[in-house]
Amino acid sequence: MEMESLPNGNSAAAVAAAAAAAAAVAPSSKLNQLAESLKLEHQFLRVPFEHFKKSIRANHRIVEKEMSAVISGVADAANADFSRDEAVHHLNSLVSRLQGLKRKLEEGSRTEHLQAQKCRARLDHLESADADNLSDWNNMRLKRILVDYMLRMSYYDTALKLVESSNLQDLVDVEVFHEAKRVIDALQNKEVAPALAWCAENKSRLKKSKSKFEFQLRLQEFIELVRAENNLRAITYARKYLAPWGSTHMKELQRVMATLAFKSNTECTTYKVLFEPKQWDYLVDQFKQEFCRLYGMTLEPLLNIYLQAGLSALKTPYCYQDDCTKEDPLSQDSFRKLALPLPYSKQHHSKLVCYITKELMDTENPPMVLPNGYVYSTKALEEMARKNNGQITCPRTGFVCNSSALVKAYIS
Amino acid sequence: MELGNIKDTFDRVAKKQKLSSSKSQEVIDQVGREIENALAKLQGDPASPVDQKAILVELQTKLSIIGSQSQLEGSQKELNINLSKYTKLLEKSFNPDISKAYRNVDFDFHTVNQIIASHFYRQGLFDIGECLTNESGEPEDTALKSHFLEMFQILEAMKARDLEPALNWVSNNREKLKQNGSNLELKLHRLQFVEILQKGGRADALNYARTYLAPFASLHMDEIQKLMACLLWAGRLDSSPYSELMVPSLWEKLAEELTRQFCSLLGQSYESPLSVAIAAGIEGLPTLLKLANVMAAKKQEWQAMKQLPVPVDLGREFQFHSIFVCPVSRDQGSEENPPMLMPCGHVLCKQSIMKLSKSSTRTFKCPYCPAESSVGQCMQLYF
Repeated sequence: MEMESLPNGNSAAAVAAAAAAAAAVAPSSKLNQLAESLKLEHQFLRVPFEHFKKSIRANHRIVEKEMSAVISGVADAANADFSRDEAVHHLNSLVSRLQGLKRKLEEGSRTEHLQAQKCRARLDHLESADADNLSDWNNMRLKRILVDYMLRMSYYDTALKLVESSNLQDLVDVEVFHEAKRVIDALQNKEVAPALAWCAENKSRLKKSKSKFEFQLRLQEFIELVRAENNLRAITYARKYLAPWGSTHMKELQRVMATLAFKSNTECTTYKVLFEPKQWDYLVDQFKQEFCRLYGMTLEPLLNIYLQAGLSALKTPYCYQDDCTKEDPLSQDSFRKLALPLPYSKQHHSKLVCYITKELMDTENPPMVLPNGYVYSTKALEEMARKNNGQITCPRTGFVCNSSALVKAYIS
Repeated sequence: MELGNIKDTFDRVAKKQKLSSSKSQEVIDQVGREIENALAKLQGDPASPVDQKAILVELQTKLSIIGSQSQLEGSQKELNINLSKYTKLLEKSFNPDISKAYRNVDFDFHTVNQIIASHFYRQGLFDIGECLTNESGEPEDTALKSHFLEMFQILEAMKARDLEPALNWVSNNREKLKQNGSNLELKLHRLQFVEILQKGGRADALNYARTYLAPFASLHMDEIQKLMACLLWAGRLDSSPYSELMVPSLWEKLAEELTRQFCSLLGQSYESPLSVAIAAGIEGLPTLLKLANVMAAKKQEWQAMKQLPVPVDLGREFQFHSIFVCPVSRDQGSEENPPMLMPCGHVLCKQSIMKLSKSSTRTFKCPYCPAESSVGQCMQLYF
């Protein structure tokens, strides 16, 4: 059925036609883009894998610890002078210890299996993206990105609702963020215990990356002791927990030790800063960095990363004008605000869009110039001429002319 | 990036892990058995004496043999090797740090929260949007929310084959829809007419046509005639020449068109701006990451720049504005430096023409063809 589309620049009909034209783009380029975009999904695969490795390491450690305890238990019994009953009693305790180990190991095995399944599910999800389900797959990706943002911002209820409504359970890392939240909440409550426990769990990897996070936690505990004027305890604490770091971080150690000579409300600038509650915020930031590094996550939310890239790629001076088309996200105030500090996009070649049809004006659909200098696409003007006996009316100025007065412009 | 290869590597990891796990269980069982044996010997006959020390020493020896023979350490080592192989493969096949192109500028999360809430309203996820507004403590955009609520109610009704809300809306917004060049109202009435014809029969359908289709007669005569002819096939329209009016996809198409018109009347875009911006980001990020890497290697400043130094190619659907780039100076067209059409049909920016004409004193030759022109013959273009 014929559509009476008036030549209105913002006609929804025109936009629909342009969108249809764009969608008819060669599918191979869409697939190429898809392949490129999959390469951005490192975090998606790495996080569950790190979780998996962590479980494996933890289970290994349990096995090592319990086995060596049992074996040395036998050695002790062999060296000691047990009576028959004592020997039986001792061996029974070792047996129950082994049984406990078996149970733990079975549970650990189940966890490892689930985590391996999660890793596989993610690989399958990446593989499942193809030309047929592209828009659905992209929609899922947007939802994943949104869940990542909510978890980082601690909007847990919203995150969970979104996960449930779209069945994203296997594709997001809720538990990982909960693990981080426990430590962060404690640090914000001026408690270092969960953070220290976390450091112990990940000791070898933190050591490999030469992290000094544990040292900083210990320093803060020391400062808290000094603040409470428990100087003797502070010194004992320093001997036990700070001294081992002396070889690598002597200067910092000395600086903090010097706080012993001051009161917590000192005005001396070098040491005043160490007593400030801001130090705890600094610890939270440090933890986030270490945590993200260990799990292969970006420090910033995925949403921000993609949004910045998109806004910069879309940003032109025309976006900030009043007549900017509503289809451009940058016509919205909120997007304009976010894009303000970002660089403009750059073009090396002209890309012209017909005001009437919103289609690209290229060699297949070249731009035609009216005598008043306004430019529209060949297709739009041919259509207009056909419907109006060869008469052309400029939709923006009302200028009228015959289609024979049109001149072709050559834009490279 | 070969996903198949990555999957195979992971399968190897999983296999090694199972192997290591079962080896551990094996060793634990062996140790357990030996201890049980020793226990049995100790407890055997309560009457006869036993040499508990000898039994214990024997047990100790047996355990150390198990320890040295066990391939526990070996299997764990193999597992670790495969674990690090997989990690390295991931780092090689994927971009391990996509935040390299991130700029440390003020990215106000309040604004982001509001954008996300609006996005949820657009997608019809009203309870999730409300939940976000509550958790983030942001002010609610009640106007936007109620508009989209209305739209989704109309669409939900249409899904249930109820066209009433839709028809109400189009008649309320008749003028604006006409301005937009949309004949949505006619299409909805047509659909309703066909529905009535299939269910109610000729009389009802005829009444409906007289009331609602007649006003369109002057502009859409052939369409009305077609619909009147349908009366002949009441109840068996699918065997008529007009069976295409029965197709269920008509409902979907109409729902889509209604959405477009609704958004357009609201002054909103059809696609969620967040979806568009993120899609653009996903397409453009690989180029930006490459750029960031190159600039970092050359020790150039990434953070503060007014304009990206290279183009980021996006699909046609992201081209919202006409950008003219002068082929001579590579400058972008602007108000101060607009594109100018030369008599030969080629276009340069004003500054290039001024330069070529030595500040409009002389005639100059077009860089692309032998034609000569003067500044006075050039016309400013408006895209």
